[in-house]
Amino acid sequence: MIKLNNVTKVYKGAVVAVRDVTVDIAKGEFVFLVGPSGSGKSTFIRLLNREELPEHGTIYVAGKDIGTLGAWRVPFLRRNIGFIFQDFKLLPKKTVAENVAFALEVIGKPRHVVRKQVPAILELVGLAAKMDNFPHELSGGEQQRVSVARAFVNRPPILLADEPTGNLDPQTSVGIMKLLDRINRTGTTVVMATHDRSIVDTMRRRVIELDRGVVVRDQARGVYE
Amino acid sequence: MALSPRYVLRETGQNLWRNVLSSAAAIITIGVSLWLFGGFFLFNYAVDNATARWEGGIEFVVWMQPEATAEQDANIRNSIEGSPAVKEWAYVDQNQAYEEFREIFSDTPELIEVVSPDVLPPSYRIVPENPDADVVAELSDQFVGRPGVEEVVSADQTIRDIQRLADKVTRVFLVGSVILLTAATLLILTNIVSAIRSRGAEIEIMKVVGATNWFIRVPFMLEGLVQAVLGAMGAWVGLRILDDTVIRGLSEPDSLQLMQGFRVDQGEFYSTSLLVLAIAIVVSGIGSAVAVARYLDV
Repeated sequence: MIKLNNVTKVYKGAVVAVRDVTVDIAKGEFVFLVGPSGSGKSTFIRLLNREELPEHGTIYVAGKDIGTLGAWRVPFLRRNIGFIFQDFKLLPKKTVAENVAFALEVIGKPRHVVRKQVPAILELVGLAAKMDNFPHELSGGEQQRVSVARAFVNRPPILLADEPTGNLDPQTSVGIMKLLDRINRTGTTVVMATHDRSIVDTMRRRVIELDRGVVVRDQARGVYE
Repeated sequence: MALSPRYVLRETGQNLWRNVLSSAAAIITIGVSLWLFGGFFLFNYAVDNATARWEGGIEFVVWMQPEATAEQDANIRNSIEGSPAVKEWAYVDQNQAYEEFREIFSDTPELIEVVSPDVLPPSYRIVPENPDADVVAELSDQFVGRPGVEEVVSADQTIRDIQRLADKVTRVFLVGSVILLTAATLLILTNIVSAIRSRGAEIEIMKVVGATNWFIRVPFMLEGLVQAVLGAMGAWVGLRILDDTVIRGLSEPDSLQLMQGFRVDQGEFYSTSLLVLAIAIVVSGIGSAVAVARYLDV
């Protein structure tokens, strides 16, 4: 599903964010990216979403070399990748349902599809009763659930999450992880960057550890360190 | 996937509403500048129509009586041909006079209906060697009161003054409108940039979930177009008022005789309106394109 071959990403000032990374992630896997701040986790995720291009190496997502994709095809790649932010990035003037519907409307989905899929995904994340609330009326955990709903409403085969529990307390984080686990069980590949030791240790999924841009550990059913 | 008209209209409407004051400023600026621009053309048309018979250096016209005899006509023609002070001349017969009349009064068909070629006087349009006012007056006086001559009309100093004044006025209109159109373009650009900045979070989400570049750009570009078209509509109303009051007022029957051809026909008015609309679209296109290309990183 995702394949990186000898990928190196260098930022301005010769800062090497990712160095000679080779990783293969199968369809339906749940992968934790761990490592200290500045180790290259976020860059790894941004490379998969084609927000960044590597200086060296190739990246395949769903069988396509995304480095050679024309700019006009990038949006179509991203429709196959859901993205969850650490800070939720909900639109404050839109209700819960409108925030989720927005992700479908802007890719041109017809109204009847939006009307059908939005309540269904809000049911899945446990927010059906709050679909008319605004983000400021929700707790942090609920806001992150909306963010998950928005990322998954289009049923993408891949879900990327950049520290999705970073702004949440441990108990709320567990709820979000249960939700991501449930989504993963539908066959969705999940790649999640995290600092949360307890979550990684509890879930025991594949762990890829980065240190100064280099993969120092790739362990099935791994722990944080 | 195609752009949803409902989505695009909603987003464009929201953008305009969020920046309602600066949108209004842009619309007014575009309207005034296009009004000046259109006014430049209308005045030019009106002056051209009013002074049409004085173009090409013609300094005076000898109007013959419609019932003048061939002998009387030949006498006048011989005098013109034989005069060394005449540089060029042209004879406008009754049919040509009727065509000219039809052209000048094309938007007044009821007037054309009651006039036939036989009631219109033929005329000699004369270009003298020396355009000096005194020399022209002396030359034209030779034809006054002669048998078969109805009237001798000179393009006197007043007409030349009007042409010069109209030249200056239209130049001011043109320069003013170009300056204001530049300001309008910058205002549209600024409005779109501020709309882009105020919607940074939405744009980020749109990019992440896979909205195409055009899907993101079109509502912003449409915002500029709506402002320009509303401005053009305002300018059109202003031009209609200008035509109905000032231009038609100057050509009223009780106004100066030389102003009686000072009019704009419907064809000229509508071609000016279309030009105004086209300029509005170009202005909005430039403002929007620059704003989207430089400030919307998709």
